[in-house]
Amino acid sequence: MNQPLLKIENLRTYFYSRSKHSFVRAVDGVSLEVGQRETVGVVGESGSGKSITAMSVMGLISTGPGVIGGSIHFASARVQKNLLEGLHKCVKVEEQDGRVMAVSKDERGWQKTAERLMRDLRGKEIAMIFQNPRASLNPYITVGEQITEAVRLHTANKSVREARERAVYWLERVKIDSPRLRFNSYPSALSGGMCQRAMIAMALSSEPSLLIADEPTTGLDATIQSKIVDLMEELKSETGISTLLISHDISVISRLSDRVAVMYGGAVVEYGPAQRVLDMGAATKHPYTAALLASVPSAQQIRDKANLQAIEGDVLDTINVPPGCRFYARCNQVTPAVREKCATHQPELQEVAPGHQMRCWRYAVPA
Amino acid sequence: MKKYSQTSSVIEDFSKLPFWQKYAVVDLIYVGYGLLIVALVLLSYILGMFNWLPHDPQQINMDMLMAPPATADYLLGTDFMGRDILSRLIMGIQAYFLPGLLAISISLSGGILLGVVAGYRGGTIETIITYFTNLVDSFPRLVLILLVIAAFKPDIYYIMVVMGITGVPAVATAIANKIRFLAQKNFIEAAIALGLRTRVIIVKHILWYNCRALLIIQATLGMGEAILLETSLSYLGFGVQEPEPSWGNMVQSGANYFLQGNFWPSTAPALAILFTILGFNLLGDGLNNILEDKRDK
Repeated sequence: MNQPLLKIENLRTYFYSRSKHSFVRAVDGVSLEVGQRETVGVVGESGSGKSITAMSVMGLISTGPGVIGGSIHFASARVQKNLLEGLHKCVKVEEQDGRVMAVSKDERGWQKTAERLMRDLRGKEIAMIFQNPRASLNPYITVGEQITEAVRLHTANKSVREARERAVYWLERVKIDSPRLRFNSYPSALSGGMCQRAMIAMALSSEPSLLIADEPTTGLDATIQSKIVDLMEELKSETGISTLLISHDISVISRLSDRVAVMYGGAVVEYGPAQRVLDMGAATKHPYTAALLASVPSAQQIRDKANLQAIEGDVLDTINVPPGCRFYARCNQVTPAVREKCATHQPELQEVAPGHQMRCWRYAVPA
Repeated sequence: MKKYSQTSSVIEDFSKLPFWQKYAVVDLIYVGYGLLIVALVLLSYILGMFNWLPHDPQQINMDMLMAPPATADYLLGTDFMGRDILSRLIMGIQAYFLPGLLAISISLSGGILLGVVAGYRGGTIETIITYFTNLVDSFPRLVLILLVIAAFKPDIYYIMVVMGITGVPAVATAIANKIRFLAQKNFIEAAIALGLRTRVIIVKHILWYNCRALLIIQATLGMGEAILLETSLSYLGFGVQEPEPSWGNMVQSGANYFLQGNFWPSTAPALAILFTILGFNLLGDGLNNILEDKRDK
């Protein structure tokens, strides 16, 4: 099998809550793989650690202690390396009963190592688009100039004229009407959808191997959302770029992803082919995924004016992570046979079918 | 009646419009007036530097005491010692021009440095900088200047160094706040993700594109303030000393004759002070509006 482009293993990103003197376990042992020419969707509620995972990959976590463990292997045609190489030298983690009790981190050293590791990757090999596209563009520079800057930084088009032509080409490619006119527009003169198109143009202009899309449609209205998804679908089939797509919107995920990871409380609870994971009628289904899918209103439900199916309870408190299954408190599928295990032991991510993993005691293969 | 018109039926590119259509008239007037004043000040500075003046500003002419304005050869008249007021006005610019620039460059460079470090790095160093700026801010400027004068000598450069240092907190705070505001919108994060070097992000994206309006307004306001400080200290007798001309000591020496009906020796420098400071402040205001409103269009 081909080597995956991005392989995240056991990533842990913690923050520290000063008022509570405890760690916020934002991302707690996430393992993910993005293959060549593959789109992996990461879905989950707010606060499940999706965006933090993406930002950890990009090395954008700046508040302490941040990334404290794991490895992120990146292997494109041009670059092969572990993005967290040398991390263990800067971070010392003290654990007790499998829980992190103290972290001492050499912030400067970590920052320096990360800068060095990410220098030729950011923008060139891994590009990122953010939610709220207008805030992600410099308000005082025309979008054209911003794309030109990215082109000159990362591609062989070093002359300004060539780079401008290239920028116009990319604006055309992302279907902005009259790209030459829009080239000279400031971000405030563009609609949110157009800003996101410009961001996509900027991200793709360096022809990266991996695109991280962090909630690309959030904050746009519904029709624009669907157009952006159309665009991404088209660009994906044209360029074959690998994408790590992060969204809480299941419809976006289902339209674009080849594989889906469902995250809850900083951990992946289900991971597998998109059709299987997002199939309502599948025989094996993680209770959280089932609840998430049920909460999406169907057209039939809207016609019937039925109540929306919310998931009961609150999102997991990532400070006091319970010893058992993370979803136990909200799970509606606990059977008496597994109840005890659910409450006391954390289930492992286990394969329930080829390429389909799940973190649930109901489907756990007895050891 | 308010009229809205389109210059042509084709949607023109905003950046290609002539500048008088791009910006508000009032801002253009402000900037025009400000630039005129700056040009006049510069011209007078150069004239004074090479001594290309109608008369020697320190030459006493006992035949022409208190000549009213528009006397032959003496456009603005003479003062109580028969010295040419126009020449003294032009020469008076020497008293504040370079010292003012010094003060501005000290406050801007110090302010940029501290502001960027505080805003971009944050953490302990930000706290230290905040304490420092608060310390400097809490000290009355005039008292500090008088202390320096008492300890050293009444030299305008000493005064302007003090003014420059006391101007650092305002610039630093403004820049740090701007950076903090920009960090909320995540384009700095996006720029990092794009692979731009920290140096490029700070100098180009933050300072040049997002802070230049702020820096220009700080610089012009600083110049206005420097003029005001120099003239008031000279007026009080702490700055430039007679017979060396300064607008401040001209107002002071002319004031004794004001109520006798000889108003021009003090009115001319007073008006010069007024219009010059007004010019610098309006220039800053107008440029601020012109540079700032790009994102609204």
